[in-house]
Amino acid sequence: MGCSSSVPDRSSGRSTGLNNGENSEGPDAKNLRVKLVLLGDSGVGKSCIVLRFVRGQFDPTSKVTVGASFLSQTIALQDSTTVKFEIWDTAGQERYAALAPLYYRGAGVAVIVYDITSPESFAKAQYWVKELQKHGSPGIVMALVGNKADLQEKREVQVQDGTDYAEKNGMFFIETSAKTADNINQLFEEIAKRLPRPSSS
Amino acid sequence: MTKLFASVFASLPDDVKHDEQLSEKMALVQQFVRPENLDIKPTFQNETSWLLAQKELQKINMYKAPRDKLVFILNCCKVINNLLLNASIASNKNPPGADDFLPVLIYVTIKANPQFHSNLLYIQRYRRQSRLVSEAAYFFTNMLSAEAFISNLDGLSNQINQIAGQDQREPTESRHHTLKEDHAVRPKSSEGKRLSKEDQSSLTKIASISQLENRGATMLLEDHRMSNVFREYPYMFAHAGDFTINDVEDLLNNYKQLVFKYVCLLKGSDGASAAFPLSRSQAQPGQHVETVEKSEDDRAIVQNFGSQKDTDREDDGPNGISYQESTKPDFPKEEAAASSEHNHDDTSEQ
Repeated sequence: MGCSSSVPDRSSGRSTGLNNGENSEGPDAKNLRVKLVLLGDSGVGKSCIVLRFVRGQFDPTSKVTVGASFLSQTIALQDSTTVKFEIWDTAGQERYAALAPLYYRGAGVAVIVYDITSPESFAKAQYWVKELQKHGSPGIVMALVGNKADLQEKREVQVQDGTDYAEKNGMFFIETSAKTADNINQLFEEIAKRLPRPSSS
Repeated sequence: MTKLFASVFASLPDDVKHDEQLSEKMALVQQFVRPENLDIKPTFQNETSWLLAQKELQKINMYKAPRDKLVFILNCCKVINNLLLNASIASNKNPPGADDFLPVLIYVTIKANPQFHSNLLYIQRYRRQSRLVSEAAYFFTNMLSAEAFISNLDGLSNQINQIAGQDQREPTESRHHTLKEDHAVRPKSSEGKRLSKEDQSSLTKIASISQLENRGATMLLEDHRMSNVFREYPYMFAHAGDFTINDVEDLLNNYKQLVFKYVCLLKGSDGASAAFPLSRSQAQPGQHVETVEKSEDDRAIVQNFGSQKDTDREDDGPNGISYQESTKPDFPKEEAAASSEHNHDDTSEQ
């Protein structure tokens, strides 16, 4: 193998086994591929949302075979485009916050998750929104997600607070429950609709 | 690529230097870092299985092609993922996400201590970009962030102190740990901020105490007879196996004296300590670490033996020691250090 990092990519036919093979197909207007980064405090259920999205609709009892930190899932939209999400989970603990830029670099979508029973996690979510506005890729699609909506009786962050904040910052807002699978698919479908389409080609 | 390897891998002096620094740091950190320092949940703590992941990561140096190196990184990540997954299934917890994965990866990396920086740069430079996408890109990014995290463990003198101190406090305080340590590991946070999370009992005084502690540790380092100072304390260099049941009472007495002394000093320092200059408190971070570590080890042993009742003792140790010295701000030299310790010991025995 050569030092080919600068050589134009002609790799479509070649498979090195390291790759999952799906990458040979470049993005076009009908088949989008997008990097989605998940941000939010630890324990808000980031990975549960993704697992629900990727596996939930098939068989909730199936034993997962790989970790949930990286997953990909393709969805088809009504206008017959498909969107393949490559979902990058991030560590939510405070001490790892400084590492997040490595993950959201080049991301097309950021999903910022908080827990409706935890005002701290909502504050943390707002921190991430500001952070992304400052340092995220321009034109990044952001979604604010209030998770654990099934825990109504323990709710501490009102729907209105989430809606208001999202509106102010031009984000899409939704409350989900990874436990009951409420709104999970809607979340990703809505994101897919909001993705900027390649204008030509 | 294999032919070029010798001339392109870690060929820049800067890279080599960076490698060495990083490797030294990991060698240092790996001696005392514990899974809970990195927020690894107890469910997922399984150091023996992590050896597998470490082995994978260490293989990175056996191969020359960027692709092979990347393969071992991915293997290491897969091993970790599988272990986490098994643990989560076994304990009926949520499946592991990045919250659980990254800390373990950092831990494994610290323990494996590969020639890290050069390997990552090499992959970044020579692995075909179109191949470094998707899952490979994700796990590679995790590696990069592990490197960034480890390189940022800077200004170690203060932080290790705290990390190590926290190590041995009660697990019930774990939330408290987490908060404090977050600040400790993040290089930017100011000392005051970090310390504001310190011991509840001494919120207002602790900043100056820790400055004193740093001063004291710096002095100890300049003191070539450092170990003599600690000899004054009979259990400082003891091992758990050396103890007999009779020592328990003795230890407990020592402990009570130490606590009493420390609390008195803490109270007394309130006014006096404010006057002490700070200038030397940050000096020689690398070496400071060694002292702290050393005493930490010994105290850990003592604690293991002494079991639950004296959870505070560890914290008292270094503070107490450095404090004694710093009560003499214009502290002359090593003899004085030794003698002051000695005196102190005597008085406490009365």
